Amino acid sequence: MGKKIVIDPVTRVEGHGKVTVHLDEAGHVEDAFFHIVEFRGFERFVQGHPYWEAPLLVQRLCGICPVSHHLAAAKAIDQLVGLEPEDLSPAATKLRRLLHYGQVFQSHALHFFYLASPDLLFGFDAPPEKRNVVAVAAENKELARKGILMRKFGQEIIKAIAGKKIHGIAAVPGGVHKTFTPEERDYLLEDNETPSADTMIEWAGEIVRFIKEYHDRHFQWLNSFARYPSGHLGLVGPDGELELYHGRLRAIDAEGNITLHDIPGNSYLKYFTEGVEKWSYMKFPYLKHLGRKRGWNRVGPLARLNVCNGIPTPLAHKEWEEFRDYTNGQTNNCTMHSHWARLIEMLHCAERIKELLLDKDVLSTDLVRKGTPRPEGIGIIEAPRGTLIHHYKVDEKGMITKCNLIVSTTHNNEPMNRAVRWVAQNVLSEKAEITEGMLNQIEVAIRAYDPCLSCATHALGKMPLQVVVLDYEGKVVDERTKGEGAGLEACETGVIPDF
Amino acid sequence: MTHAPEKLNTPATLLLGIGNSARRDDGLGWAFLDVIREQGQFAGEITYRYQLQVEDADVIRAYQTVIFVDALHQPLEAGFYWKPCLPVATFGFSTHALNPESVVALCQELYGEAPEAYTLGISGYDWELAEGLSRAAIINLRAALLFFEEKAMKY
Repeated sequence: MGKKIVIDPVTRVEGHGKVTVHLDEAGHVEDAFFHIVEFRGFERFVQGHPYWEAPLLVQRLCGICPVSHHLAAAKAIDQLVGLEPEDLSPAATKLRRLLHYGQVFQSHALHFFYLASPDLLFGFDAPPEKRNVVAVAAENKELARKGILMRKFGQEIIKAIAGKKIHGIAAVPGGVHKTFTPEERDYLLEDNETPSADTMIEWAGEIVRFIKEYHDRHFQWLNSFARYPSGHLGLVGPDGELELYHGRLRAIDAEGNITLHDIPGNSYLKYFTEGVEKWSYMKFPYLKHLGRKRGWNRVGPLARLNVCNGIPTPLAHKEWEEFRDYTNGQTNNCTMHSHWARLIEMLHCAERIKELLLDKDVLSTDLVRKGTPRPEGIGIIEAPRGTLIHHYKVDEKGMITKCNLIVSTTHNNEPMNRAVRWVAQNVLSEKAEITEGMLNQIEVAIRAYDPCLSCATHALGKMPLQVVVLDYEGKVVDERTKGEGAGLEACETGVIPDF
Repeated sequence: MTHAPEKLNTPATLLLGIGNSARRDDGLGWAFLDVIREQGQFAGEITYRYQLQVEDADVIRAYQTVIFVDALHQPLEAGFYWKPCLPVATFGFSTHALNPESVVALCQELYGEAPEAYTLGISGYDWELAEGLSRAAIINLRAALLFFEEKAMKY
C-alpha cells in the first residue's frame, strides 16, 4: 500500500508548512517535498505607502530579523532618493554596518544556542523533551548563559543605533536617524551587565573551537548527513572577500566553477528568475542561464564561505582557511557544516563590531545625504540566513507601486527540499516504523538552513509538529502531533479562573 | 481555584505584550499595552515583543511578577483567559520563538528562580496583513482590559 507521511507545522498566519514523504507500495521513498509559504502578501501590503515608510513597514515582516529587512529596504530607498551606497556619509555607512553585524551576530547566536545545540549535544534519538534549550541549560548552564549574553550584546547594539530594540528607526533615506554617542560606544567596549566586544570575540572563538572538536568526534555523520551537490550564492567584496552589507553577487557550482561572476545587485533581474511548483506556495529562484534544474543555489553561511576568497578579519580568516582545508579547498556541500560556517561568521561579526566601535567616524554627526529622486531602487544584503533582495518602484508622488522581495528562505527552498529528500531516501525508506529520531532527522536537515518559518506572528496555542501518515487514497493510517503550543492546557476553555 | 497574585500593580511587575500590529488581531497584545500605558495607572514596566526569545529569560528574572499578554488563536466565550504561567519547556518545530512557559522554565533553570508569571490570552480572529483590530477582537480587548483594571490593578 502506498503511503504519504506528512510533517505539518501548522502556524497561524503563514498557513501550512509541511513535509510530505511519498512512499510507494513497497515502502520505498518515491519523493519528498517541503512546503512553506513566503511573503507575497507583504509585497502587496506596502504598495500605496510612501517610499520612506518601507524601511519601517518591512520590520514587521519578521520577528527574528527585522533589522535585515530594514537595512535591505533602506538600501533600496537610498536609490529612490538618488544615492548609491558610496554616496552615503562614512558615519551613516559605518553605523548601518555596525547595526547589521550586531543583527547577524545575535541571530547566529540564537540559532546555535537555541536550535542547533540541542540536536548536537543530545543527538537525533534523544527524547523530544530533551531536545530544547532548557535541557541545554540544565546540562550546561555556562553555555546557555553565554548564548543569552551574546544575544543580549547584539540587541544592545541594535538598541543603541535604532533607539529601541523593536520599533526603532535606524536607517532613513540617505543615511541614519540618530548619532551614536561616546557613552553608547563605551558601554559596548567595556564589560558591564552586558559583556564587552572583546569578550564577544573571546566567546565566539571558544564556540568555534567547540564546533571543531565536535566535528573531530562526529565527522562521519556531519560529513555525510544531507550532503548533496548544489550551487552557492552570496555577496563578495571588491577582492572577493566575505561581504555581508554591500558587495557584488557571486555564485559557484558544486565543483567551485563560477556561475555568476560578481555582478552588481541592481542587475539581479537580468540573471535570476523564479520557478513555480504546484505543490508549494513558495517560489524557486534560479539562474536563468543554467535553468530551473541546475541554476538553484544555497544561500547563508555555508554558501558565503564557499563563494568568498577569504574573510577580512584576522581570527575569522584563520578559521575560514581551516574550514576550506577540511575539504581540501573544494566546495563544501555538507549541509551539517553550515553550523561551523555560521559560527565562523559570528566570530567575524564580533571582530567587525569591535573595529567599528573603535572607528571615530561612527561618532560623527554627518548622518544624511541627499540626491535626485529616481523611480526604482534595489537593496541587497546578506541577512543571517542568506541573500536578501528588496526591490521597489514608486510613482511620481513617491508612492510604492511595486515591491519584489526575494528572501533568504526562498533561495533555500530548493536546497531544503533536497535535504529533506536526502533524509527521506536515506533514513525513512523501507523502515517499518517511523520513529521520533527519524522525524527529528528531517527537522535537523531543515534547521541547518535556519529557515524563518514563523515570521513575526505567534499567537498563543499554535506551532505543533503534526505527523500524518496517509495511504495512496489519502486516508489517514497514522497520526502524531508533537510540540503543540502551550497555552490552553492549563485553562478550561471559555472560563476565567476565579481571581 | 484562586490565581490571585500577592501584589500586581507595583514597579516589580513586568507587563510583556507579544504580537505584531501589522497582522490585524495579532496586535492584541500591543493594543492592550497601549491602553494601559495611556491610562498611566500601572506602576510596573511595560515591554513590547514581536516574539519571546531566549534572552527574555534574563529580562524577566529582574521582576517579582510577569504578565504575558498575547493574542489567542482559539475563540473563547469570555473573549480572553487569565491563568498562571507555570515553567514548562515546550517547543515548536523549527521556530525561533519561545512560548511564555518556556521562557519561565529557562529562567528557572538558568538562575534557580523565576518570577511569578501569568498569561493573559485574548481571542483574535483575523490574522491578515493589515493594520487595525477586528471588531470582535476589540470587544475581547475591552473585556480583558476591564478584567485587568477591576481585578488585577487593585492588588
